[in-house]
Amino acid sequence: MPIIEVENLQKHYTVAEKEAGLKGSLRSFFSRKTKTVKAVDGVSFALEEGEMVGFLGANGAGKTTTLKMLSGLLHPSSGRVAVAGYTPYQRRASFLKNITLVMGQKQQLMWDLPALDSFLVNAAIYEIPEARFQATLKEYSEILELDGLLSKQVRKLSLGERMKCELAAALLHQPKVLFLDEPTIGLDVNMQVRIREFVAEYNRKFEATVILTSHYMADVTALCSRIVVVDKGKVVLDGSIEKLLERATDKIVGLEFSSRVEREVLERYGQVQSLDGLNAKLLIPRAQASVLAARVLTELPVADVTIEDPPIEELIGQIFTEGKASRAAELERTQHEEVRV
Amino acid sequence: MTNPPTLQPSHSSARGTLLSRSFRKAKVLFDAWLANMTAYRAELIIWMLAGAVPLIMMAVWIGKAQAGGGSVGGLDARAFAAYFLAAWLAQQSTVAWVAWELDFAIRQGNLSTKLLRPIDPFWEYIMQHVTERFVRIPLVIGLVLIGLLIAPKGTVLTPGLAAVLVFALSIGLAFLVRFLISYIIGILAFWTEQATAFDEGYYVLATFLAGGFAPLELFPTALRSFVDWTPFPYIVYYPAKILTGQLPASDIARVFAVQLGWVLGLVVLRQVMWRVGLKKYGAVGA
Repeated sequence: MPIIEVENLQKHYTVAEKEAGLKGSLRSFFSRKTKTVKAVDGVSFALEEGEMVGFLGANGAGKTTTLKMLSGLLHPSSGRVAVAGYTPYQRRASFLKNITLVMGQKQQLMWDLPALDSFLVNAAIYEIPEARFQATLKEYSEILELDGLLSKQVRKLSLGERMKCELAAALLHQPKVLFLDEPTIGLDVNMQVRIREFVAEYNRKFEATVILTSHYMADVTALCSRIVVVDKGKVVLDGSIEKLLERATDKIVGLEFSSRVEREVLERYGQVQSLDGLNAKLLIPRAQASVLAARVLTELPVADVTIEDPPIEELIGQIFTEGKASRAAELERTQHEEVRV
Repeated sequence: MTNPPTLQPSHSSARGTLLSRSFRKAKVLFDAWLANMTAYRAELIIWMLAGAVPLIMMAVWIGKAQAGGGSVGGLDARAFAAYFLAAWLAQQSTVAWVAWELDFAIRQGNLSTKLLRPIDPFWEYIMQHVTERFVRIPLVIGLVLIGLLIAPKGTVLTPGLAAVLVFALSIGLAFLVRFLISYIIGILAFWTEQATAFDEGYYVLATFLAGGFAPLELFPTALRSFVDWTPFPYIVYYPAKILTGQLPASDIARVFAVQLGWVLGLVVLRQVMWRVGLKKYGAVGA
């Protein structure tokens, strides 16, 4: 039985339109124009317990709105949403104790106090027994390296330090379902890796279900085996990363030569993506990749060769531009069989 | 709705009675907000001065009484001094700014983090106000004592300890009335972008109707009987009268009954508006 079920979920907003300037303000004062924004427009998917899913899409695609409906902050306009058997927007205490939502751009820690004070407040509010609170705190402190941070005023922490404390605070009650909205935004690479490792560890240990949105594809590829891509409030792709890669029509063959090779020569084998001194990248149709690579290897002065998939960002970009909704739906069907295995 | 066994968290067998768990929550919120409040001592004094209307009116009315042959409407300078000092104490002890907090939280989307927790944000806001009182009231009492020194000779603020205790009780209820009204105004931010404009507009009217500009016995009879139907005199005027010992026991009982009635009515109204308002919440930002 899926732990998260979303069926034809919609969130439509009515927003007032106002022209800029005093004239616009006056006009909107007397006759307010409104329009309906379809932030989420019929999203459906299901997650099994313990799954980690990457939620991808451009800004304004509806990712955050969906997460807010899943965590009970927003009432859906229509459709069905169930998380762990609860209807999120009823915000029952037992539901809230089982989930968390971490927003990279919002904070829950009290600004003027040390993070530890906020932790103590959470421990009381979530009714965490003292012994378990201490054990959890110790454990998180080790993995996230919180030593020395917890007694500092939150406003004196760096962004990365604060994010680690936010994450620890949000997981103190050991929720089973995690909604992570841009948890690594603005952090340096080391900090991103640390947070990623923590989430992976948490998922292993508690069999937690995780939905993650991130602008850093590395977060998604490192943590999630499945991705859901939304565009304009609709799901345009739902499947494993491997399935997504299969959609790629080309492979990228990276070549390192021992002596210079002319561009015209290379173009006989495939589309030249780049040529820079002794290094070149060729786009070769997937089906012929190995044959062509073998020919290049024997016919040209090749020192080294690599065959790679194109970056996931590009593939997702292709999906947006092509809008192949039908193929995505097909992919979704095959994916569901996979999940059950 | 039953939740599936897979999600029954092994740890949810929270220890202790409901009471002890509630006490733990109250204590920890109290500690945190007290620590937070002490970081804002300087601002507090400014805010207190901003609420100085009764003190200014005290000077005005004392002046009037002295010029008018010793009394106005049966009240002499000493009576005005005692009344306005008590009124200021009542007004300062019941200050509530939760409308601003809610308005900000709703419009900026900061309410989201509070909504994620298994506790009504109401409790956090009320604790924020209660802890602030622990910093504010000692300052206010100090200023009232100084006020007594410079008040006309023979001014008696209160007849005795019994009046002080009854006053403290009525102030507790008065605070709840004022806090709940402010809360309800804040909830309006779910529908309008101008909730704090209501609060501003209401403040002057409320101060007037509460008896902050003049004791209610000086009001015209028609206005007076109207004012008694609003919650405002029960926030400042009547508690002040209790402290100065000018209210007969039967009236004190009536004041408490009316205060309780307002608290109950406003609790229900807040609950209903909160439920309905949350559906409108847009959780903007982030």
